[in-house]
Amino acid sequence: RRLYPDMAFFQRPTDYPCLLILDPQNEFETLRKRVEQTTLKSQTVARNRSGVTNVSSPLKTTPNSLSEYEVLPNGCEAHWEVVERILFIYAKLNPGIAYVQGMNEIVGPLYYTFATDPNSEWKEHAEADTFFCFTNLMSEIRDNFIKSLDDSQCGITYKMEKVYSTLKEKDVELYLKLQEQNIKPQFFAFRWLTLLLSQEFLLPDVIRIWDSLFADDKRFDFLLLVCCAMLTLIRDQLLEGDFTLNMRLLQDYPISDVHLILKKAKELQDSK
Amino acid sequence: QSSDFLFKFLVIGNAGTGKSCLLHQFIEKKFKEDSNHTIGVEFGSKIINVGGKYVKLQIWDTAGQERFRSVTRSYYRGAAGALLVYDITSRETYNALTNWLTDARMLASQNIVIILCGNKKDLDADREVTFLEASRFAQENELMFLETSALTGENVEEAFVQCARKILNKIESGELDPERMGSGIQYGDAALRQLRSPRRAQAQSAQECGC
Repeated sequence: RRLYPDMAFFQRPTDYPCLLILDPQNEFETLRKRVEQTTLKSQTVARNRSGVTNVSSPLKTTPNSLSEYEVLPNGCEAHWEVVERILFIYAKLNPGIAYVQGMNEIVGPLYYTFATDPNSEWKEHAEADTFFCFTNLMSEIRDNFIKSLDDSQCGITYKMEKVYSTLKEKDVELYLKLQEQNIKPQFFAFRWLTLLLSQEFLLPDVIRIWDSLFADDKRFDFLLLVCCAMLTLIRDQLLEGDFTLNMRLLQDYPISDVHLILKKAKELQDSK
Repeated sequence: QSSDFLFKFLVIGNAGTGKSCLLHQFIEKKFKEDSNHTIGVEFGSKIINVGGKYVKLQIWDTAGQERFRSVTRSYYRGAAGALLVYDITSRETYNALTNWLTDARMLASQNIVIILCGNKKDLDADREVTFLEASRFAQENELMFLETSALTGENVEEAFVQCARKILNKIESGELDPERMGSGIQYGDAALRQLRSPRRAQAQSAQECGC
């Protein structure tokens, strides 16, 4: 559930490994060595990317039973290592935010798009391009990742409430039902908004949604409308369900046709 | 399937201690190989039989990373039980227990029944926290205690069941009142059918609110 269908992609070797780092003649340490040896915060990056555990003690060797996460032989690096490097450098350059769980879900679709580009020139520069785009995207959404801003005007709590206030305008019956069941937006919309829906749909669909988001003048206002569309599209089920059923629906969203959702969101946008 | 009671449970503890894997093992009876980190909250429910009573557990599996703390706090209200999880191979996760405990008692309820779970029992070779040390901590803080393995499933079901049993005992002894607001306990649909009488109308409306 909610894994990249192309998760295997991230474990495959890249077409253009970073020669500078991997050249044994060079004295650069690879990140895979560094994260094992240092007590840097970035260690969580390494462990979280592999999705196994985040082990806090650097000296420990965790038996890694998942063969697909095995480190590739010298001279090769896997796509996830590139992504890890991007996150590591971002965290180093932005110590105020550092690394927060979920950033990998933001960088993943960007990197995937560049690294699978049919044009080999694009592919070759995927890492740099992803870093550039990720940094720019984060400049717009980083407030979501900063705890101290949670309750401010630009924080995530405000945005979650905005989903409900928009819903109230568009479908008051559904709004009242969710209120009555005490289903707060924190219970599902936190993930929807923070990760720009990247955990709710399959990777190709996520890319399709992001395309619409980024193309819209008011991108993240449109995201609120997409969230509302997702709610109103399952309104009949939600109106009938009890708390448990509804929480399941919202945590494991049942519709996979993103075109339907985007169309509905557009409708909501135009109906203003 | 109908139930006699509904308990709200929390799973709390540091990031990477295996909270989501414990929940997955409990519900699906298998280990979640490709577990993703939890953003905000995940939700699960299961009906278990405890001493002849059917109890529906409504389980809130929270994100462990510090960043999510202010958001996850909003999930605590009205929880009747909690699994407080640390990783036996990481002292850091053990050292954080006091903070989690304070949060749980302050935000959920003073009477919340908590079971301490030393997870990753299967990684005994990397152990950093001894059984004895943790059981002393549990005793001092009036917690139940088990070492668990979400990988092998050892003690996973037991952790949930023991916690539920303790709550049931407290209800029977009158220490906990399911009809009190915010107790995290509700009558299930089976109990409601048996008890349907004017006096119970209140309990029923509490059920409908679903919290």
